Amino acid sequence: MSDDQLHHLITMVNQISANLHHAGSEDEAAGAVAGHLKKFWARSMKQMIIDYAEQDGSELSELSRKAVASLQKPAETT
Amino acid sequence: MLQYFDPGKPALKPDLDYGTPPATSENTVSLSIDGYDIEVPEGTSVLRAATLLGIQIPKLCASDNLEAFGSCRLCAVEIEGRRGYPASCTTPVADGMAVTTQNGKLAKLRRNIMELYISDHPLDCLTCPANGDCELQDMAGAVGLREVRYGFEGENHLAAETDDSNPYFSFDPSKCIVCSRCVRACEEVQGTFALTIEGRGFDSKVSAGQSEPFMDSECVSCGACVQSCPTSTLMEKSVIDAGQPEHSVVTTCAYCGVGCSFKAEMKGGQLIRMVPYKGGDANHGHACVKGRFAFGYATHKDRICEPMIRESIEEPWRAVSWDEAIHFAANRLKETQSRYGRESIGGITSSRCTNEETYLVQKLIRAAFGNNNTDTCARVCHSPTGYGLKTTLGESAGTQTFDSVMEADTIVVIGANPTDAHPVFGSQVRRRLREGAKLIVIDPRRIDLLKTPHGGEAIHLPLRPGTNVAMVNALAHVIVSEGLEDKAFIEQRCDQTQYTAWREFIQEERHSPEAMEAVTGVPADLVRQAARAYAANGNGAIYYGLGVTEHSQGSTMVMGIANLAMATGNLGREGVGVNPLRGQNNVQGSCDMGSFPHELPGYQHVGDAAVRARFSDVWGVAIDDEPGLRIPNMFDAAIAGTFKGLYVQGEDIAQSDPNTQHVEAALTALDCLIVQDIFLNETAKYAHVLLPGSTFLEKDGTFTNAERRINRVRKVMAPVAGLADWEVTMALSNALGYPMNYRHPSEIMDEIALLTPTFAGVSYDKLERLGSIQWPCNDEHPEGSPTMHEVDFPIGKGRFAVTEYVATEERTNRKFPLVLTTGRILSQYNVGAQTRRTENERWHEEDLLEIHPSDAELRGIHDGDWLGISSRVGRTVLRAKVSERMLPGVVYTTFHHPGSGANVITTDSSDWATNCPEYKVTAVQVEKVSQPSRWQRHFEDFDERQHELLEPAMHGRAPDDVSALK
Repeated sequence: MSDDQLHHLITMVNQISANLHHAGSEDEAAGAVAGHLKKFWARSMKQMIIDYAEQDGSELSELSRKAVASLQKPAETT
Repeated sequence: MLQYFDPGKPALKPDLDYGTPPATSENTVSLSIDGYDIEVPEGTSVLRAATLLGIQIPKLCASDNLEAFGSCRLCAVEIEGRRGYPASCTTPVADGMAVTTQNGKLAKLRRNIMELYISDHPLDCLTCPANGDCELQDMAGAVGLREVRYGFEGENHLAAETDDSNPYFSFDPSKCIVCSRCVRACEEVQGTFALTIEGRGFDSKVSAGQSEPFMDSECVSCGACVQSCPTSTLMEKSVIDAGQPEHSVVTTCAYCGVGCSFKAEMKGGQLIRMVPYKGGDANHGHACVKGRFAFGYATHKDRICEPMIRESIEEPWRAVSWDEAIHFAANRLKETQSRYGRESIGGITSSRCTNEETYLVQKLIRAAFGNNNTDTCARVCHSPTGYGLKTTLGESAGTQTFDSVMEADTIVVIGANPTDAHPVFGSQVRRRLREGAKLIVIDPRRIDLLKTPHGGEAIHLPLRPGTNVAMVNALAHVIVSEGLEDKAFIEQRCDQTQYTAWREFIQEERHSPEAMEAVTGVPADLVRQAARAYAANGNGAIYYGLGVTEHSQGSTMVMGIANLAMATGNLGREGVGVNPLRGQNNVQGSCDMGSFPHELPGYQHVGDAAVRARFSDVWGVAIDDEPGLRIPNMFDAAIAGTFKGLYVQGEDIAQSDPNTQHVEAALTALDCLIVQDIFLNETAKYAHVLLPGSTFLEKDGTFTNAERRINRVRKVMAPVAGLADWEVTMALSNALGYPMNYRHPSEIMDEIALLTPTFAGVSYDKLERLGSIQWPCNDEHPEGSPTMHEVDFPIGKGRFAVTEYVATEERTNRKFPLVLTTGRILSQYNVGAQTRRTENERWHEEDLLEIHPSDAELRGIHDGDWLGISSRVGRTVLRAKVSERMLPGVVYTTFHHPGSGANVITTDSSDWATNCPEYKVTAVQVEKVSQPSRWQRHFEDFDERQHELLEPAMHGRAPDDVSALK
């Protein structure tokens, strides 16, 4: 992982949150953001953002943090 | 009695000229011609009715793509009970009419007319380039002209000088019969009005502009005049050079998303000319300067004819056999995966290649690479269309046919420039505007559609770049607050919960045009007028382009557009709809074919177990259930060192993707870059394997255009390196141990139909029978679906989406006070790899920076000055063009030349939902400079070095082992 890569992922998830924060209640909005990540993000990207949220998470917006916290780590397939 | 009632069909036999356009009346009229009875739609000309009966009345000024003109008088007939000899082209049929097309008097009349024509026409038929394809000669034969009593000594036009200024056709007025077909084609078909008849009587002559050479006039070189000329006055230079073609094959253009049908007219394996095919339902016999003329790249000396390999990009290329190149590539991919893991490699499918080829590349990635790391250039153009339309309307595609625009009363064009980027559709829009439809343009630039000669009312909303969503919300606010909604449509067709939420949101005062004026910069009154014109003036149709999608809120804007259409009931019938104008020839197809990392063919998500099971059954492998990396994610991962191998078919990411220096860093970080292309493109300069690609002329397949129309691409010449692109992908797959054994692209289409519900009814046999098919094509719609969402949406009810305006983070400030926006131009296509290798370069030999006079004055800038353009990520140098087409504060350029480095300055900022880059908004500063930028100097050195490494390996012939791989 590079700083750039993580930085991009943080920007992306915050941007998604900024665009979906009007999708209903806070829980619903977090669900929409998590759903978006689940549907469109690659396994490695999800893993990275989950790791970041667990270890630091300071640059994530509140909604992003909530959404990422609800995200399951994707299973590794071989 | 013969009955012809087919108002929708322009012609019954595409190769026959019926003399005048079809009539559209539902009432029919019965008449007899030369004793044969016929019933035709009211308004049909006698000339057309006769042609339908198989009776050819001589004609020169008539053609079924032009309104009747009645000037040559050759088509005179006799009508029982009427006086004189009326022109059959301008005489409509009437009930009970009895027409005689041939008798002694008519024969004499026609012979006299021809005699007059020929008395002022050179008699050099044997050496004339039109010999074998001359209507004047044919008519002289048809009327039995045997002598010219007037002689040739009198005053004449035989010494008129030829105008050779256009690179593709010549204008020899000495052969002109002043039939006005060229002038009318320029007006009626193309809509440019560049040609006129100058002078009166004997002095009448065709003139481009104000007696200018064609190249200096407003002529856009579409060639409609050349095609319509009955003599050799306007003639393709390729025919002058090579003579008449001897056979032709109908195929589909490989330039823009209009997908025009052409007859490729051949002499053996040599393409002589491309003539737009009247039977093509996307273009009805019209074309543009790219499709008709710019095909010379296919035989350009720069074509890569042999596979090449090298260990590193510092080494010279080695031309090798197909077998060696394929195995070199396969081994490198396998080594990379064993070292860095299954997800360390991926591929990019091509929006220029066929559906079948795109399908195979994503199949190779999913089945042979074993991951979903597939993406396509739609990532950087219309991925927000996919997301936005699927979310709201349930399908990732435009809703209409192009012809639907002829029923539109208000045409809304947002962030698109059809007369340059989709010229044939642009001409159709202009035709409708001349008929009186209203035009609304939402664009920072004053596009040419606003200058349509004889167009109707037009409203231009010149908004600030990056404020689309604010604008679409303001329009929706007017529609809701002024009671302009289509309540019945909303109630029947849309989800009420989402509608209520949206309505509550959009009604808020902060979305009003007055409140948004400060954001968009557009006067509120103008926005209100536009909203009313769209919602309350009959059929409203929206057409949009990359000015909508290539923003940080591209997907939101697409949903905002769908909201407008649903709120006003402008969906599900002719004349309305939401229509993305697709950039590349097969970008619709490449999306349909499963190029995106999260979707299998037919937009079926990889997370759906039932979908995966169907694919696994047919493909014989398990499919990863997680989405793969998108192009920008691949670049990031490459720089991070986790993504190491990439197979790129027919796509030049190094030139077309934003933040060039970032892309270059990513490509340099790869251990294995395999590029399959027709030229050494910018990406190939970073490659380890270069596989020769084939042009659309060299293979069979299908393209899908912006109206979901699947059109056949037919091979007219052999691939220069022996293999078509699909055969190369197969060879690579086989070398990787995943067998592919298709014998013809039709077998690939059969597999696509098996796995893609919207393609279930598509086959080559059916395409042969119908000409083209618009998907969805299935049991319910066995012949395809011209208009979508007629009864319901694929998701049942339409879903309104709340579209909050979020300003882009790419903001201007004191250091970067101007906004750069990018676009394209008529004569060039995308990265220019094809058009730069044709005479089209004459119209646009460099990319210029357009700057408003007030911004120019402030900086002391004049036309032609060298300008340094700096953004937060890079700097490049372009020449200035002072222009009022943009607002003050906005500068504009094109990206057709790699050395211009337009994408050196564009940033990583992208659409929130799809990562589509924000090409349309970059904060920049502009200043006068005296030398190229550092990147440009690096580019020139690198370019020169890479060509030195290529040159010794270019032998210009195919390798010997082609047949082994067939």
